[in-house]
Amino acid sequence: MIAICQRTLVLSLLLSLFIGAAYAQDDIVIDFYFPSATANDAEGIFQRYADRFHEENPGISVNPVFTGSYTDTRNTILTELQGGGAGPDVAVMLSIDLYSFAEEGYITPAQAFIDAMDGGEAYASDFFPALMANSTDADGNIWSIPFQRSTPILYYNADLLAEAGYDSPPTNNAELVEIAQALTTDDRHGLLVPVAGGFPIWMYQSFAIAFGHNIVGDDPAEVYFNTPEAVAAVEFVRSLGTDLGVGPAGGAAWGDTPVAFLAGQAGMIYHTTGNLTRILSGADFEVGVWYLPSGPAGEDGTGYGSPTGGGNLYIFDDGSKSQAELDAIWKWVTFLSSPAIQADWGATTGYIAANASAWETEPLASLSMEHPQYLVARDQLQHADKEFSSYGTITIQGIINGTLESILTGESADAQAAMDAAQAQIDGILADYR
Amino acid sequence: MIAGAWRHRLTARVLPYLLIAPTLVLVLMFNVLPAVNTVNDSLYKPARGLNAAGKPPQFVRLQNFADILDDSHYMGQRFLRSFRNTLIFALATVLVAVPLGLLLALLLNRPQQLLGVWRFAVFYPALLPLIGAASIWSFIFSDSIGLANAVLRSLGQPGLNWLGDRNLVLLSVIIVNIWKQAGYFMIFFLAGLQNIARELYEAAALDGAGGFQQFLWLTLPLLRRTLLFVSVISFTFAFQTVEQLQALGEGGPADSANLLLYLIFQNIAERRNWGYVNAMTLVLIAVVLTFTLGNFLLFERSENDR
Repeated sequence: MIAICQRTLVLSLLLSLFIGAAYAQDDIVIDFYFPSATANDAEGIFQRYADRFHEENPGISVNPVFTGSYTDTRNTILTELQGGGAGPDVAVMLSIDLYSFAEEGYITPAQAFIDAMDGGEAYASDFFPALMANSTDADGNIWSIPFQRSTPILYYNADLLAEAGYDSPPTNNAELVEIAQALTTDDRHGLLVPVAGGFPIWMYQSFAIAFGHNIVGDDPAEVYFNTPEAVAAVEFVRSLGTDLGVGPAGGAAWGDTPVAFLAGQAGMIYHTTGNLTRILSGADFEVGVWYLPSGPAGEDGTGYGSPTGGGNLYIFDDGSKSQAELDAIWKWVTFLSSPAIQADWGATTGYIAANASAWETEPLASLSMEHPQYLVARDQLQHADKEFSSYGTITIQGIINGTLESILTGESADAQAAMDAAQAQIDGILADYR
Repeated sequence: MIAGAWRHRLTARVLPYLLIAPTLVLVLMFNVLPAVNTVNDSLYKPARGLNAAGKPPQFVRLQNFADILDDSHYMGQRFLRSFRNTLIFALATVLVAVPLGLLLALLLNRPQQLLGVWRFAVFYPALLPLIGAASIWSFIFSDSIGLANAVLRSLGQPGLNWLGDRNLVLLSVIIVNIWKQAGYFMIFFLAGLQNIARELYEAAALDGAGGFQQFLWLTLPLLRRTLLFVSVISFTFAFQTVEQLQALGEGGPADSANLLLYLIFQNIAERRNWGYVNAMTLVLIAVVLTFTLGNFLLFERSENDR
């Protein structure tokens, strides 16, 4: 037993010497924290990227650290920094975490780096504008760089639609209801919108945007939760499970929704693009994918609207890092957001590659030729708007989620009154920032 | 010789302190100190607004407590609802899981075929990691593909939205907890039952006491210590529940199944809520401490009676 312990000790000492030696040859080591929200082998992929980056940039090493879910990652970083620790140099966090970290003074804007780089403007304008909405503050400064982004989209069972006499998906919410009702039977829901289970705000935003007024704008100190559009949107979502009878009262649960769709128990579902690969490979029927037809028909007859989602790259600096370190950090950020890596990342994981030129780069270019469904998520970005993010994001998101849930489950029958009360609480919090 | 005796006395005096020192340091560092800090921090509101990290917190006396008790305040609404849920959850556990554990122990204390298998089956849930067990239950409770609804539908009943209906979610979480704890409690009762001498039952039988009378006048009084102990731990367990909620709907919809410790956990992330988090933690500590202390005193007194 003791011999084994000694051997382990000696081995680990040797190992740490090797690691020390490996780092010692390099001048700079970048600590890179990343979450994983999907079943992909993110650790393997990032190690591959880190190795490739090191090859291209001798003198800089990247130390990828897997930090759990998005929430775990945020909490890990906050705990380290609040406790006086070093924290990461670069991290992938939710695009909506911007103001939480900017408020605390932990992150530094990417804008200064973009201004200083050759071709910075071209680099920044290659990203899809909808994906930049959560990166940019009210003054137009870019803070974070899009990396693993997603949106919700409509998945439909094309075989069932054809049986019911529809050869194309709905383009506004009147058609959505009509088709959903045609598909609804005793053991099948016409449409599942996963607004049950803790996080209705994301799906709800699709409706608020498509009804004509997002609940958030450019100013992080303003929230628009009790506008007529916001109220009409939630009342419409609630009616799907009540008067219209195309889904369960209170909405469907997040995890159940794709399972029910694959089992033929739902004709259409709202879900994330992050599940596209899994749904395409798991279905024994023809899967159609389309923009979210959440709102009333506009002048062109369509009523599309969607929020964006997913994670961005953030640069951590409290002002203590040297220029050489910051240069190395920016190299890593531009490497991860380059068309080549975005094309590889998008094709491997199913996230929406964030820059336009990535879609002309292999392997994504051929994949999207083969499966045009991947292009729907990209093209829906023209109808997409900012995901909810403000000062006090987490607290305010909690208020909005609680209010939406109490309206959707029927606890608050009067949606306007509940949303007025929530807006008053939100304004109380935001008063600190106005 | 004298020096030796003196050294021996010194060792005898110092050694115990040395031996408890590691534990004492850990308890002081990780229990007592944070608890004292919590009392202090509950009287402050953290700085809010831009660059809050650099600003000092504001001393607000008992305002944090007033806010969490105010049902028009965003945190008050959540706290009051979660506190009520926690009480219901704790009472349901004590009133159902504890008697159920006792009943199972009584059934499995008799000689019968496959006794070991039965006991293992009943105890098995206690061995499963809670988060895994709760994840399995989240499938059972699933609206469209769940086992619970499949059973209901096969009986011609409509399926229930176990984790989506605000009137049902707390019940669903309680069911999982009872399933999880009853087998665990059974072990304590089984141990208690096997400590009761056979002769007492034989004597009672000779006096003409039937099965139920034996249970009422013999088993129950002799199990009193176990019963108290199990009730106390089941009550305090209830106040420490977090994992089930993570897998079973995260306390939603609209906090209809949220419990106190999970609510605290949900609100640590944002600096602005730290005052509330500390105030809620103190309330939690106070309730658990009062209950534990009350039971401890009762328990001690009943010990002295004997």
